[in-house]
Amino acid sequence: MTKRQSGTRANGAVRRRVLGIAADGALILYFVFALFPVVWMVILSLKPANELFSTYFSFTPTLDSYRTVLGAGQDEGVPFVRFFLNSLVVSLGAVGLSLVIGLPAAYAAARWRFRGSENLMFTLLSFRFAPELTVIIPLFVLYQQLGLFDTYVGMIWVLQLVTLPLIVWIMRSYFADLSPELEQAALLDGYTRKQAFFRVALPLVKPGIAAVSLLAFIFAWNNFVFPLILTSSEAQTVTVGALSFLGGDRPKYNLTAAAALVSVIPPLILALTIQRYLVRGLSFGAVKS
Amino acid sequence: MTGTTGSASIALRGVHKSYGRDTALDGLELTVAEGEFFCLLGPSGAGKTTTLKTVAGLAEPDSGAVELDGRDMTGVEPYDRGVAMCFESYALYPHRSAYDNLASPLRSPKYRLPAAEARVKVHETAELLGIEGLLERPVGALSNGQRQRVALGRVLVRPARAFLLDEPLSHLDAKLRQAMRAELKAIGDVRRTTTLYVTHDSVEALALGDRIGVISDGRIVQTGTREDIWHRPYDTFVARAFGRPLVNLLPGTVTADGHFASAEGGFELPVDVPAAPGTAVQLGVRPRDIALGGEGGALELAGTVYVTEVLGRAVEVTVRLAGGRQLSLVAPRAAAAGLRVDDPVRLSVRLENLLLFEADRPERPGRRITP
Repeated sequence: MTKRQSGTRANGAVRRRVLGIAADGALILYFVFALFPVVWMVILSLKPANELFSTYFSFTPTLDSYRTVLGAGQDEGVPFVRFFLNSLVVSLGAVGLSLVIGLPAAYAAARWRFRGSENLMFTLLSFRFAPELTVIIPLFVLYQQLGLFDTYVGMIWVLQLVTLPLIVWIMRSYFADLSPELEQAALLDGYTRKQAFFRVALPLVKPGIAAVSLLAFIFAWNNFVFPLILTSSEAQTVTVGALSFLGGDRPKYNLTAAAALVSVIPPLILALTIQRYLVRGLSFGAVKS
Repeated sequence: MTGTTGSASIALRGVHKSYGRDTALDGLELTVAEGEFFCLLGPSGAGKTTTLKTVAGLAEPDSGAVELDGRDMTGVEPYDRGVAMCFESYALYPHRSAYDNLASPLRSPKYRLPAAEARVKVHETAELLGIEGLLERPVGALSNGQRQRVALGRVLVRPARAFLLDEPLSHLDAKLRQAMRAELKAIGDVRRTTTLYVTHDSVEALALGDRIGVISDGRIVQTGTREDIWHRPYDTFVARAFGRPLVNLLPGTVTADGHFASAEGGFELPVDVPAAPGTAVQLGVRPRDIALGGEGGALELAGTVYVTEVLGRAVEVTVRLAGGRQLSLVAPRAAAAGLRVDDPVRLSVRLENLLLFEADRPERPGRRITP
């Protein structure tokens, strides 16, 4: 009796152990699957040009690709640094403009119902779920005729389709979660409505602003279709620019990989610096305190 | 634009306000004289807070008008009305310290004081409310009672034409509430300034109000001094709103000779009811107006003791009358000593303490029948 009991207990322990190992194995497999492309990119970016197609994992690592991409090595005719700066200007500009327009809009949408307010909000949202490709041809023609093609202004403008709905919709729920009595108290304290917004409402949604700005920046930074069609060289961004290395007589995968990895840096740095706000910010809007 | 100094009278004239399908104010009429301390009493959902917000300009009436000092306030922004309001939710700025909350009005374009003067004023106010030691703390680190006092301080710190106070003592513990209630009216600014004070606590209303208004379903049922409200309640709703234990209401009918007969036929009282024979009425008498034992010149009732409950120096006795109705009364402890359950007792009520009401109807409480 005792023996059998201890036997089943031992069996149970073994089973749990086996299951544990199986789960670990499955997780490791998944990580390999998910992370291998990144590893492959890093490997590619470190390969010298002559070993690009002849080796897998053993090669003489070199930082030449990075030097070339950043403009220090031999010139490949691709102004990647400019693309990088373009991306920064265009993404930051798009997020900045969206904040300036979107924060008051989100506040108004959260606090007041006015004629057509719901339709307006839905129209904004529809920019997000309509594929960009549906409007890209007319936009291309318009941009050509208005002189916005391949300009910063044009890119920042068109990226509002990406960043503005995001900022308005997320910030609206942040403002809605704030008690309107806070601003009412400010009005009675002798502040104007504008001051109540800037001094009371806005500081209280700072975590939300940080979180949504980061998300909007990432979406703007990663956008591919708009710069592909609406820029050629002056305002071209990294997402499209990185592909320039694939043109020419033979594709330079090592340079593309290095360019892609370099272009990951700004969103990564931003995410890490405002991580503190991010966790709080993303949950703050959803959960009632 | 109106001036923002000097106490102002308040008037609401036929104010209607609804939120979607819910009617908050249904033709509310109310006037508060300059310098008066007016208590608005009513159950939750009666429209008390909406009344205050309408006066403050935070809610716009659908129809009707709000007047300050006789001037129509339609279209006047809250910051131009010069009134101060204490919110039931406190509405303190959560990202600032208690000091900054108190100082907020004194930094606004409307009531700005030089920083040094503002500091003196904030400390004075904090001292008045016993929150001087808490000034540096963030609002989040304060208890509800402390927050409520900070909220009250933010109202008192600045000059105002009227104070609108929404249950400003409701979250204090019992002892502090009693102390603050006594102190509140002694505060000079409160004494001088028109105050509209909202509460659901009848004791507070009776203790504080120069005049009292009872509100129900967005309408004022009755306004008057505490004597008016207590001795001449407009209807059974007002009578029930004041006094604990609750007023006794005995249903009955008017007899052929104009007397009161209890509904169950248990007893008849020789009071003259100014109503047609057969009318359904209610006899109201407050527990503290009933004495144990018969006294000359008073109405008498007989019953048996049902329950006794000691309330300190007094005893609440519940008596079962003939016919089964129960009546509660409050008697001094000495008079009630030795009462046992089922003991027969005689009760007496002075004629002037009797209240007569129509029977309650589904659509409205029974009104008082005035002789």
